[in-house]
Amino acid sequence: MDKLTLPAVLASLAELRRYAREAAAAAGIEEERSYQLQLAVDEIATNIISYGYKDAGPMAQIVIGGEITADVLIITLEDHAPAFDPRTRQMPDDDELSKPLEERTIGGLGIYLAMEGVDRFDYRREGERNLNIFEMRRRNG
Amino acid sequence: MGFSISVEGGQGEATIKLVGELDAAAAPQFKEAIEKLAVDKPQRLILHMDQLEFMASAGLRVLIFARQKMGADVSLYVIGSRGPVLNTLKMSGFHHSVYLQDTYAPE
Repeated sequence: MDKLTLPAVLASLAELRRYAREAAAAAGIEEERSYQLQLAVDEIATNIISYGYKDAGPMAQIVIGGEITADVLIITLEDHAPAFDPRTRQMPDDDELSKPLEERTIGGLGIYLAMEGVDRFDYRREGERNLNIFEMRRRNG
Repeated sequence: MGFSISVEGGQGEATIKLVGELDAAAAPQFKEAIEKLAVDKPQRLILHMDQLEFMASAGLRVLIFARQKMGADVSLYVIGSRGPVLNTLKMSGFHHSVYLQDTYAPE
């Protein structure tokens, strides 16, 4: 699939989700799992835009691409923000997730939802680029 | 699809209806509505989500904000949530802290 380059602003999130939704449809992935993929892309992109590019100027961009193989759909987000591997972020454990809301801390929830929602998540730093890679099996099970 | 929010305030019950896609771009509108409603110190906050098609963690963070802003005494009701949005609420453990109902029935 052709890559799509968008300004790294929160207003681009809907377009990023649309790309993931169309890729999932092209790969024959059912709606519920398509939603999980869209949520994962949205959460990681939100982190990149809000934190990675926090001090970046208005020219900052985020690139989304998709590849469909015989078995999987691979969605890749590329950015030029400082290196950040979401897998190193501390995520809420069962204890934290069962706390009442007034005691909840707000960090890590988005990355947790992203990681839980896809079949495989990978991160690579290539030169000046961050690559966040989401993989979904085309057939469930 | 976008996002829209409608709000009805009051001291007893405050009601918010969320429609469309609640992502990090839309969450500030939701947060602003909570801040305005918190002034009246409602006892129950009722969130209608039957037409909410997408919710990211940014929306969940506003729910946490609502609880922390309005106090632990306010009861939070999430009405009509379904499908993947409901799944996200449960995965995040929010079913421990809010009433999840199909139609509003005060506890």
